[in-house]
Amino acid sequence: MDKNLRRLLWRQYRKRFWSLGLISLLIMALSAWADTTTWLYHSKTTVFGPQMHQWLAFDATKLRFGSFSLYSPWLMFAFGLAGLVLMNQDLKDHFNQFLFTSGYRRRQIYWTKLTLGLGGLLGIAVVTTAIQYLIYWLQMPASVTLDLAWPGLITTWLMGLTTSIGFFAICWFAALIIGQTGALWVTLAGFILSLVGIISVNVPGFNLLTAQQGQWTEIGAWIVATIILAVWGAWLYQRLSLEHDGEYLLFPGLRWPVYLVFVIYVTVIFSGGFHVTTAGIIALLVTVIFGYLWLWRPKLTWHRTKN
Amino acid sequence: MLHVKDLSKTIEHRDIITGIDFQWHPGEIVGLVGRNGVGKTTLFRTMTNQYVADKGTVTIDEHDLKQEPAYQRQLFFIDTQYNFLGNYRLAELPDFYRLVYADFDADRYRDLLQRFNLTASDQYRQLSKGMRALVNVILALTSNAPYILLDEPFDGLDVIVRENIATMVIDEVADQQKGFLISSHDLNELDGLSDRVLLLKASRLVHDYNLEDVRAQAKKLQLVFAGKEIPAIVKKHSRLIRVSGRVLVVVFPDYTPELAEQLQALDPVLMEELPLTLEDLFRANLSQTAGYQLMQ
Repeated sequence: MDKNLRRLLWRQYRKRFWSLGLISLLIMALSAWADTTTWLYHSKTTVFGPQMHQWLAFDATKLRFGSFSLYSPWLMFAFGLAGLVLMNQDLKDHFNQFLFTSGYRRRQIYWTKLTLGLGGLLGIAVVTTAIQYLIYWLQMPASVTLDLAWPGLITTWLMGLTTSIGFFAICWFAALIIGQTGALWVTLAGFILSLVGIISVNVPGFNLLTAQQGQWTEIGAWIVATIILAVWGAWLYQRLSLEHDGEYLLFPGLRWPVYLVFVIYVTVIFSGGFHVTTAGIIALLVTVIFGYLWLWRPKLTWHRTKN
Repeated sequence: MLHVKDLSKTIEHRDIITGIDFQWHPGEIVGLVGRNGVGKTTLFRTMTNQYVADKGTVTIDEHDLKQEPAYQRQLFFIDTQYNFLGNYRLAELPDFYRLVYADFDADRYRDLLQRFNLTASDQYRQLSKGMRALVNVILALTSNAPYILLDEPFDGLDVIVRENIATMVIDEVADQQKGFLISSHDLNELDGLSDRVLLLKASRLVHDYNLEDVRAQAKKLQLVFAGKEIPAIVKKHSRLIRVSGRVLVVVFPDYTPELAEQLQALDPVLMEELPLTLEDLFRANLSQTAGYQLMQ
């Protein structure tokens, strides 16, 4: 990777990274301190215990000691937010114009930006988590024993990081194909909330797996999804033409695929799978009409007469 | 040499530029003229890879900019409408440009800011339109790129600053190391600057004028005839620029000695040659008709 390109991108993004780092530090430190106020203990209390000796992510709901986090959910949000801002802001601030005329290959710009973004975020995750752990350690009474084992810690971090990077990839990709900031936020919020709902309620086949198999399958799924989105994003970035700046879709060729995914996805959610239900039929009709109006923006007759 | 070959771009199913083809050498100041919306800015954006071209190539010294994008650093363009400079102070801008343009002259950049009374600590977005245009030109000159695209660079500038910029541009090309492609509606400014003018019309490059040749060939005349009727030969061979009573101001794009004789034979009350400006050429070539229909 070109050193000058990395310096150029860092020059543009550094304020954003420092801001996100400081906000993360503040939030993580405050939430760590808030956690310590919930701790209930007596002499010879052991925190964690057997669950950390398995290759399973730490489950805070099973802890009687009080609130404790080994990988803060804030970091998942921070990764997603950074993915969105890194891609969308370059479009909004017209930094893409400069990058595309800068003499660097689009592919090179894309991967440098991606690795710089993820590198910065990993740094933020490590530093802020270290501060969080430090606060826990300083507030931990001498009578309490921490039974922290590598299998649980590694799985927790793997699960946390793959989920965070997955959110980053989803937001990054969405910001690459959607050219309107407000609509991007609404689209992403709708997609992520529904996705979280689906994962937590019912993923077909997941109930056949043990907890351990389920978690490792989820880690694998996040990695595969991240790779697909990152590589697909690189392919699209190469073809990004800025005359569509400000339109909902920056790639008119994606109109039909987005339309079909939107209609099928929302219909399946409302029909509770692939069953024929009244809610499903209504969802199908609404998404077919709304999706068409939103993506094609046809000029309606009453608009023309008004003009 | 920079060569634009058969460059085309369609936006929303409309051909904005079609089959644009021209060559441009360092040392040349080329004007790009055309009516609003004819595709001047789209041409610049497509040349610099902001818009992905549907067809055609841009090469510098036979290197295709798409295949070898590093050569794009020899081509400088700031989009006046969409650029990232607004978030930064003038003093910060070299941080970006020196990382892209290896020969960026930061000292000269500072000197030129001072010369034009621009404050380095001012934010670009707080500047007036004219001052922003001036900063764009300063960045273009100090980038030391051999090919510089300037999109309406004189828009919003006062006369003194315009003259300063025009002088700087002329000085820059003196050693034949730099070339400028300048789009402008201010045809009077281009008149004193350009050696050559490209004329865009209906998305195509319709003329590539060498102004010296054109001036040798074309003539602008002020004519008054005794009768009310405009002679057919005038209608046929000229474009009407202005009419005031019986006084006609016309441009003959191809003025030959035979034509001069034929005009003399009509025994005009007045036949006087006027200096031919770029604006006259622009009017003569871009109006849909010869202009005489308006008088009917």
